[in-house]
Order: sequence, then structure tokens, then C-alpha cells
Amino acid sequence: MDHLVIILEAVPTTLAVTGASFAVGALVGLVLVLLRRTPWLLVRGLARLVVDVLRGIPPIVLLFIVFFGIGSGAIRLDPFQAAVIALGLVSAAHLSEVYRGSLLAVHRGQFEACQALGLGRRTTYARVIAPQAARVAVPGMVTWAISLLKDSALVSTIGVAEIMLVAGQDARSTGAGLLPFVLASAVYIALGTPLALLSRYLEDRLSIERSR
Amino acid sequence: MTTDPSAGQAILSLSNVRKEYAGHVAVDDVDLTVSAGEVVAIIGPSGSGKSTTLRCINLLEVPDSGTVSVLGRTLDTARGVKHAELMQLRRDVGMVFQSFNLFPHLTVLRNVSLPQERVLGRSRKEADERSMALLEQVGLASKASAYPPKCSGGQQQRVAIARALALDPKVMLFDEPTSALDPELGLEVLAVMRQLADKGMTMIVVTHEIHFATEVADRLVVMSDGRIIEQGDPKAVLADPQVERTRTFLSAIRDR
Repeated sequence: MDHLVIILEAVPTTLAVTGASFAVGALVGLVLVLLRRTPWLLVRGLARLVVDVLRGIPPIVLLFIVFFGIGSGAIRLDPFQAAVIALGLVSAAHLSEVYRGSLLAVHRGQFEACQALGLGRRTTYARVIAPQAARVAVPGMVTWAISLLKDSALVSTIGVAEIMLVAGQDARSTGAGLLPFVLASAVYIALGTPLALLSRYLEDRLSIERSR
Repeated sequence: MTTDPSAGQAILSLSNVRKEYAGHVAVDDVDLTVSAGEVVAIIGPSGSGKSTTLRCINLLEVPDSGTVSVLGRTLDTARGVKHAELMQLRRDVGMVFQSFNLFPHLTVLRNVSLPQERVLGRSRKEADERSMALLEQVGLASKASAYPPKCSGGQQQRVAIARALALDPKVMLFDEPTSALDPELGLEVLAVMRQLADKGMTMIVVTHEIHFATEVADRLVVMSDGRIIEQGDPKAVLADPQVERTRTFLSAIRDR
């Protein structure tokens, strides 16, 4: 049972990396999607380039660029900060695509109604479009959160003491090759399940056609 | 009401309006002047440019050239329109869509009140009072707390009319308001529109409802291939169309 205790002690770190990266991604992704919908061609093009580049790089490569490349130069980043920045950027690119798809799912007539009524851009997005887009975006966002939870194992490579790192150390120091990793898998599944349930619950609650 | 445009003061006019989509001319050389209190019905085959013309009035489609003038404020569309001018225009002109376009996540009451709060700065209480009065007028006060997807199409369209009226527009545009409705539900919408016309609202209605056009409109405008080909007193145009294209279109409608 010592194996399990060691892994459980690392759960808060895994959750912190996942949660912080997701929060960064959710916010930066929002900025990216808004930039992609500005009237200015150059801004749109740049935002799209950023998204494509971030999505085109394997997350571990981006992680190393941030930690070994940027984080050991002029600015000092500790492993946790570097992890959150790298996974946050990957999340931002991905979530901006989720948002973009959900905006496209909002009927064009909704924008036209807002225009015809003379609603400003902010009111249009905040009060009319976003609430409808959110319903479409939630499942994709939760799916990404689950992926991110699993991908957070990558940050063990730069020394963040999360589940994967401690499982590896435990395996090496005790010679138990299988058990720590099986336990780690079980813990990842246990952490991911509530997210999947949350997704189903939210989809249900946010459904426009729900009976009231 | 009379068909003589000089009876009411001109409240709206389009001059030389042209709109092209990727080489396809949707609307060309459209001139249209509407007097205060006048009800104008626009008919024509699909693709004739009648909806585009309507959408050029409140600049949902910005014409490539031509001027749009509402309440004496003239916008030259080729020169570009300032944001403030656009907002003023949309304050003066209300619009009702074929597909209603109510906000599905807000109650009927919020649908009608939110724009008043945001556009006119009314307090929630003021806005709700006005909304309830208008919902009463369109016969839907009892639906105030319902969500649009739970309402019939006819009810949704009447709410959409109330939502537009709540901003006190001077002109109302209707883009095929009954085309998405079965005939009975269409009737309740037409009844509300007739009521509105009787109260003196200036209305421009793109429609296939020939009966409504004859009974309620002061003027019938016929469009084909992006141009106005004929206009005049509805009964006169229907009885004795001057243009061959009008004749074939009308007989196609009658033969249904």
C-alpha cells in the first residue's frame, strides 16, 4: 500500500498542473478566438498562425522549449511554471478551436437579430452568442480537460513531482516494475471519471430544449 | 390611408442601390421612396432581390453603391458608414425575420426587454412594463415566462414583432414573416401586422401573401432579377399588370 500512498501524495500536483493549464488555456483561447473574429485581416492571420503553430508542435517539444529554452535564459522559470505555460498554450490553441466551432454552431440569424436590434458587439457576444455557444462548447472543453489531465504526465520529464514522476521514482527505488504504473493508471482513471460525469451533467443542464 | 406618396412625408428612401455577390448582381438600380404611415408590399420570384433590398435598408447587407435615407439622414453606402450612423439607423428601423430569430436561451419577456435595456437604456422595470404591454397587444402576455422553443412558430413571430416594436422604431421591415409558418399560424401573425398597419406604422413587407398585400398594403412593388419592374396600387397591379414578367409571376401564384 506504500506504493499507492506515494502516488496519492502527488495527486494535488497533477491536479494543480492540469487546473492551472486549463485556466490559462481557457482564457488565452478566448482571446485567440476573439482575435480570429476581428475585422482586421492581419490580426486574424496572426492569431490563426499562432493557433496552427501551437497545435503543430508536439506538447513535449513545446514544454522543452519553454523550460530549457526560455526558462533557463533571461527569465527563470521553475518546472511548475514552465509546465503551466507550455500546457496552457497547447490548451489555448485547442480550446480556441473548440470555441470557434461553438460560435459557428450559433445560428447566423442570432447575429442578424442583434444587428437589426442595434445591440453592441459586447452585448451581442456576452448576452446572446456566448450563452448559446457555451452549450455547444462544454462537451469539447471537458473532453480537453480529460486529455490534459493525462497529458500532464509529460511534465514529469522536466521534474514536476506529479503522479508519473513519483510512480517512476517508486518503480526504480523498489524494483517493482509493474505495480506503481498500474496504480498510477487507476488514479488517472479515477480522476478523469468525475470529469466525464460532469460533462454529461452539464450537457443535460445546459440543453436549450430542456423541459422547464 | 392613401397611395399618394405626397400625402405622407417621405420617411425612407433608397436611391440607386446596387448589391453584388461575387459577380452575381443581387440588386441593381433600386429606387424606393416610402411615406410615413405607408405600407409597401414587395413581391417577386425567389432570387429577385426583394429580401436583399429589404436588408439593404437597415444595412444588414451594405450596398456596393447607392444611398439609404431614413428620417432625413442620408447614408452614402459607397463611402462607408460610421458606427454612430449605423446605430441611429437601426434605432429607427425595426426588423422581423422569416426565421423569427428569438434568443432561445432567454424567456419571452427577456427577449423583449433586453434590447430595450441595452439600446435605449431603460431600467429593467420600465422595459418589463413596456414588454408586457406589447405582449398583451400581440396576445401573448400569458407566454411571458415561457422559452421561445416552447412556443409555436406563430407565437414566436408575434414575440419577434413585439421585440422590434419595443424599441419604438419609425419603420418596420418584415422579411417573409409568414413563410416559415403553416397557414393558420400565419394568419395570427398577419392579424398583428394588420393591426400595426391600422395604427399608422410605416411598413415594408416582403411577402408571398397576395391577399395580405391587396388588403393591407398601400402599394405593391414587384421585383425581378434584382430590379423593381412595376409598382402601384395593389389592386390595380393585380388586376392589370403592365409588365409581362409580372403577369407570368402573378398567374403562377394564382394557379397554385
